[in-house]
Amino acid sequence: MIRRTSEPQFSTYFHSRGRALGLPIAGNFELTARCNFNCPMCYIHHSKEQIAASGRKELTAEQWLGIAESAKNNGMIFALLTGGEPLLREDFFEIYGGMKKMGLMISINTNGSLLKGEILERFLKDPPFRFNISLYGGCNETYERMCGRPVYELVKENIRTLKNAGVEVSLNLSVTPYNCGDLERIYKDAEELDVGVKMTTYMYPPVRIKGDGCEANDRLSAHDAAKYTVMWDKLRLTDEMFAQRAENMAKCISDEPLSCPMEEGEGVRCRAGSSSFWMTWDGKMLPCGLMTEPAAYPLEVGFDNAWKTIREKTAEIRMPSKCAACGYKDICGVCAAVCSAETGAFDAVPEYVCEKICETVRITQEYCSERNL
Amino acid sequence: MVIKKEVIKREIAGDTILVPVGAAVYDSNGLYALNELGAFIWDMLPDVSGAEEICERVVAEYDVSPKEAMDDINEFLDTLGKLGII
Repeated sequence: MIRRTSEPQFSTYFHSRGRALGLPIAGNFELTARCNFNCPMCYIHHSKEQIAASGRKELTAEQWLGIAESAKNNGMIFALLTGGEPLLREDFFEIYGGMKKMGLMISINTNGSLLKGEILERFLKDPPFRFNISLYGGCNETYERMCGRPVYELVKENIRTLKNAGVEVSLNLSVTPYNCGDLERIYKDAEELDVGVKMTTYMYPPVRIKGDGCEANDRLSAHDAAKYTVMWDKLRLTDEMFAQRAENMAKCISDEPLSCPMEEGEGVRCRAGSSSFWMTWDGKMLPCGLMTEPAAYPLEVGFDNAWKTIREKTAEIRMPSKCAACGYKDICGVCAAVCSAETGAFDAVPEYVCEKICETVRITQEYCSERNL
Repeated sequence: MVIKKEVIKREIAGDTILVPVGAAVYDSNGLYALNELGAFIWDMLPDVSGAEEICERVVAEYDVSPKEAMDDINEFLDTLGKLGII
């Protein structure tokens, strides 16, 4: 009569129900564009001056709670509070507490630097389902270089405090030219803290901040991104697991073109716009935070109409037909947001991603054959 | 009966779930799913004194013998007790 169920089991179940029934199971709420870090590869780290110059405004707590209530009434279970740095909002706990009372399972994306003092105390009394903490390096010097703030040791201590209290924490690591020398140290520290790390070497071009005075995009070359991807695999996998990964890669890829060439590309394969939505800090609904379109405005047309528009427009998106016929399509990680951010079109091939996956496969296979794995 | 743990009942696409809030989040890495009978009993918990009273209501609502109902109810209450919910 009662069954205890854990993620990702119930997440997969509810998203598949949501997709079939058109329900917004997950909502991502970008509470602010402000951040106390200044990372060059980030798509959203506006200063107060940039926000003022843009002529746009952050939504109020009341507006956020109104959107969340409508989403909840449509089936939302999961809410991700993100930014910028969401904990910079003075009324953060008004939004957080209000959403918790709705029976939402809340996760929080944060850089971890503000999880101390009174903020920490409040979270320890009423924790979220999970903190996703972004790591930017493995020492204070790297943090200073990448984020402009030498706070690695502080962040590490904050993670340790949360873990010791029993709060769920996972780490996200974005590898860039600024922190790629720290991989081993980060891996070791994460092991010591007993926290899982989700690493990525792929950085989206920051398309969403073009025109707001933030044009920087310091990411690795495709070849270096491949190199550090494989380096991370070597750290986290045993030789046997690494060899298995190489074998799985070989099974996935095919040099033979498909017998029936695709005329039309595939649709959006992830949850974006079918069972999840993204709300930008200034009130725009998108399928995913890394897309700039399709967009809808729930504060103007109501949540139900906005969600309907997002679902319908997302269903029309087609990725490149060349990708649909490619032998690497199941391992390269291409998606509609990547195509759009890289090329400006959903149906144009993102060459950076092609180059990165080919090089990743090549280095992985080479490493195995050199060691007879 | 007293519900000790802070949980919020939600109904989503035909499923009934209990979402832990406050300190209850520490004891549950997820949520609790209730079937139809579980949800029926859950709604009456604050108003009943014990298993016998629940059984009377279940037998009045469902086509089930008192003994079968009582076995299921005891199992349900036992699980809720072990989870620290009641």
